[in-house]
Parts: sequence; C-alpha cells; structure tokens
Amino acid sequence: MKIAWKEMKKNKTRFLILGSIIFLVSFLTFIISGLANGLSQDNAALIKKLPQGQFYLDKDADKTYNLSKIDEGVQQQIFIDNPEATAFSVQMGFVNDAEDKQHSLAFVTSTDSELFENVKEGEIVLDRSLQEDGIQVGDVLTNNQFSGEFVVKGFVDQQKYSHAPVAFIAMTNYQEMYRVMEMQTIFIPGKDAPTLSALDSFSNKEFLHAIPSYSAEQMSLNMIVWFLVIISGMLFAIFFYMMNVQKIGLYGILKAIGMKTISLFKMIWYQMLVITAISLVLSIALSQAFSFVAPEGMPFHLTMDTVWMLSAVFMVVGFIGATISGFQVKNIEPLQAIQQGEM
Amino acid sequence: MSAFIIDEVKKTFSNGEIEEEILKGVNLSLKEGEITALIGPSGSGKSTVLTIAAGLQKASTGEIMFEGKDMTKMSQEEVRHIRATDFGFVFQSSHLVPFLTVAEQLQLMLDVSETKTSKKEQVKAIDEMLKLVEMEHRKEAYPSSLSGGERQRVAIARAIIHRPKILFADEPTASLDTNRSKGVMELLQELTRTLNLTTLMVTHDEEMLPYVDRVITMRDGYIVE
Ligand SMILES: Nc1ncnc2c1ncn2[C@@H]1O[C@H](COP(=O)(O)OP(=O)(O)OP(=O)(O)O)[C@@H](O)[C@H]1O
Ligand SMILES: [Mg+2]
Repeated sequence: MKIAWKEMKKNKTRFLILGSIIFLVSFLTFIISGLANGLSQDNAALIKKLPQGQFYLDKDADKTYNLSKIDEGVQQQIFIDNPEATAFSVQMGFVNDAEDKQHSLAFVTSTDSELFENVKEGEIVLDRSLQEDGIQVGDVLTNNQFSGEFVVKGFVDQQKYSHAPVAFIAMTNYQEMYRVMEMQTIFIPGKDAPTLSALDSFSNKEFLHAIPSYSAEQMSLNMIVWFLVIISGMLFAIFFYMMNVQKIGLYGILKAIGMKTISLFKMIWYQMLVITAISLVLSIALSQAFSFVAPEGMPFHLTMDTVWMLSAVFMVVGFIGATISGFQVKNIEPLQAIQQGEM
Repeated sequence: MSAFIIDEVKKTFSNGEIEEEILKGVNLSLKEGEITALIGPSGSGKSTVLTIAAGLQKASTGEIMFEGKDMTKMSQEEVRHIRATDFGFVFQSSHLVPFLTVAEQLQLMLDVSETKTSKKEQVKAIDEMLKLVEMEHRKEAYPSSLSGGERQRVAIARAIIHRPKILFADEPTASLDTNRSKGVMELLQELTRTLNLTTLMVTHDEEMLPYVDRVITMRDGYIVE
C-alpha cells in the first residue's frame, strides 16, 4: 500500500484536516464519556465497587431503598442460610468539624463484612476527598442528632454515594442518629444468590438504577455520548465521501490503467485506518492527560475499557464511511471518472 | 492479420431528454506492427472511438474483437485485466498520478499489470524506458514540475513499459512543438516496429502523417476513409 502512503505524504493538508476532525470529535466523545463515568462513580461508587450479587429490599418499600426496613427476623434467617450476606443502610447527613464547618456526607453502616469498613462505636472512616477539605486522622466531628462524638480513624479511596463522600460509622451510632433499628438493604455476593420470597431482589445494575438521580443522570449523559458517536460517524462518512469526490479523477486514471477495484478499496481503507488510528492515539493520550489536569472536584473517570470500546466503534464507523464512499468509485467507468475529475 | 477489429460500433449519449448518436456505425481493423492514424474534424468522434476501443467506456452497440474475443460481451473484470496487461493508453492530456515521481508512475504500471520480473529487472526496464523517451534526468520529479511535453513523454513511457500488445494514443503530440512532436512520432514508430505493437492514434497534425502506416478519416461519426 505504498501508493496510499505516498498520496498521504504528498497531500498532507487534506489528510491533516480529516485527521483533526476525527481527533476533535473522538476527543470530545472521550471527555464526555469520562464525565459520564465520573459522575456515575461520584453518584454510586459505594454500590459500583461491590462484587456481582443480589440486593434485597423490603417489599413495602416500593423499590425505594430509603423507605426499606427489613424485618429483623427475616434478616436473622437470611444470615443463617447465607453466611456471606451483609446488611447495610445509607442515609444522607452532615458532620461539623472543630471549626464548626459543616460537611455533607452519606452515612453508611453495615453488619460485620469484608465489603464495608467495620468501625467501632464513636469512630468514623471517611472518603479521602474530605482529607482535601482539611480533616485529619484524630479530628473530632459532631452531628446534631448524635449525642456523642466521632473520632476520625482513617480515610478510604473512592467511596462516594449520591455525589457525597461516604462516612462509615458503627451500627449502634447509626441507629441512634436515624432512630431505626432495621437495616435497609441486604446484599448477597455471588452469581447464584437466591431469590427470597419475602423480599424484592435486584441485580447490581437494577439496584444502581433504583438510586433516584442515577438513572436520569446516566441516561442523559449516555445519550449525549451516543449522539456524539452517531454524529461523528456521519461526519466521518461525509468527509471521506467529499474527499473521494475530489479524487474521482485520480481514481479514473488508476482504473484506466487497469488497477483492480479491490486495490482502490484497499487504498481507501488503508488511508482511513492510518488517519483514524493516529487521531485516536492522540485523543486517547490527550484524554488520559486530561484526567490528571482536570480541575479538583470535577468528577472525571475514563477507564481504558471505555476508551477501547469507543475506539473500536470509531474504527468501525470510519470503515463503513470509507467503504460507502468507495462504492461510488467502484461502479463508475474510467473515462467518466476522469472527465468528472476535470470539471 | 488483424489483431483488433471494431465492427459496427455505435455510441449514443443522452443528455436528459435528448439522445445524440455520436458514432453511427464505425468499422475499423488494426494490423500488427502498424500505426493507424485517425484524423478528422473536431467533434467527429475520434476520441470516442479510441476510448471505446480501449475499454474506457462502453459502446452502445457493435462488437470489438480482440484476439478473437468480443470485448463488449466481457465482464468489467475481464476488460480491466486486458487494460492492465494488453493495452497502453496515452490520453489527450497526460493524466499522470500527481503524487508519484516519474519513475514511480512506471513502477505503478508494472505493478498493476502484474509484471512478474524481478525488482532489479524492473528498475532496469524503467531506466531504459526513461532513456528511450529522454526523461531519465527527471526520474525523481513529480508531474507538477514537468513541462507539457515532458509529461506527455512520461505518459507514453507509462503506456508501453508493461509491453502491451496495443497502444492507443489520443493526440500524443498535441502539446508539443514540431521538433518534439517528430521525436515522439519517431519513438512511436520505433516502438511499434521493435515491440511489434499495434498502434491506433488520433492526430490533428498533417505533419505527423508521414510517420504512420495507414490514415483513416472520420466525419460526423462515420469513417469516410
Ligand atoms: N460523455 C459525453 N457526453 C455527451 N457527449 C459527449 C460525451 N463525450 C463526447 N461527446 C460528444 O461527442 C462528440 C465527439 O467527441 P470526441 O471527443 O470523440 O471528438 P473528437 O473527434 O475527439 O474531437 P477533438 O478533435 O476536438 O478531440 C462531440 O460532439 C462531443 O461533444
Ligand atoms: Mg479528441
């Protein structure tokens, strides 16, 4: 495919323009999906970090976890049948630090489990983002619904819920603060977690969507991402098409001297592949760099999985665009192509 | 022996509603080792005959016999293969590939015709061919930096580097001065003899006629001889 490469080298501007369009569009898509993913982490890292399993809510709760109260007897029985089960509760709230500054938090408590931080009475473990707010290990925090004080025991990474940092506290403290004895949710890890007749059960994904803001937020962001992908697909196709229309005279000459149609296609594909690959590598690099310079507090989280998936989609879309524009070259008579190119 | 026969070829172009018959039944046979010249007034259909014969566009009706087979009945791919291996074509304007150097133009033609000689032999053949058309000093030049006459000589070299059986040339000397034109005609004459080519060319220029073996005159889509 020396000829395809030679053409790119000789007509740099034309291919640079095409490449920068692909670069800009894919970069924008990466950034938006990084934000979508970041917001999703910010909203539900606590739940997203849990392994695959089943979540259970009280049937009367109507699929809303903060209305759910699981009967203690039912809970006891589940724990006997499933030793690895965990019960946990989440409520939004505040703490005041020594300077009386208020911090918004999601209080989380759970039964003894490896999946959640286990905290002694009067102690609290916080998400690392609060450390950046000036809170340190050993600080004393208070809450107006709680008679005692919380001593900060430590910090954990990436534990967020409903856009607030998570605070793990002991079950007894939680029960005092929120005046409930029952737990909200039971989680049983494992693919073959049972369905329990007494409770509503949810997969991880279903449970995420039971978080009120989560669905709405993710739906809009994902829609933006897929719209971007579709629009960029059309842009690709249009640009490849325009480029091939401009080059119709050249294809006419190549056809006239007897070049095979498949060789013309290979030339078009090769150029598309090189341009798209270079543009994608640049925008992957830049979007990864962006995650380091993204302003503090901007939830940006772009996983390599997402990057590869989107890149693959762009490759496929570019391939389709190039192929479609190749078809108009395929069917034209050489002389007609040459004459069109001269106009 | 006739290597190439055009039999009752007609060509109709339709511009929207209006159908115009440009070729009204052309009969022509070419002989091996001979240069046949097509002359006639502008618009009489010379280029149309040439491009149809070379398989660059289709005839509306009629037969084109090459080595005993009717090209009008062949598939697109069969015609392409003939164009790549058995035909050479020099256009009215040279139509070189803009992003390839002079040597690369010829290399491309060798690749397209799937010439099976070794790389070394191909490089040598290209050098010899460029020497023949007196272009070896511009081997590495791109078409945009060549004069019209130089481009035309490269186009001729490209049309014969793969040793075709038939050479079609549409006014190959049109953009050249008289001396250069005579040079090109001598070249065509020599190539036709030494390579045993069959050459069909179009020309406007009476001065070129001494170099050809046969002259055929066209008028209004007919051959008037
Ligand atoms: N693709 C086309 N569509 C419509 N008409 C065409 C087309 N190609 C050629 N013609 C017409 O066919 C006629 C013959 O054209 P052709 O190019 O064969 O003439 P020519 O004898 O080569 O003329 P010249 O000496 O000027 O090159 C002209 O009237 C031209 O307008
Ligand atoms: Mg003409």
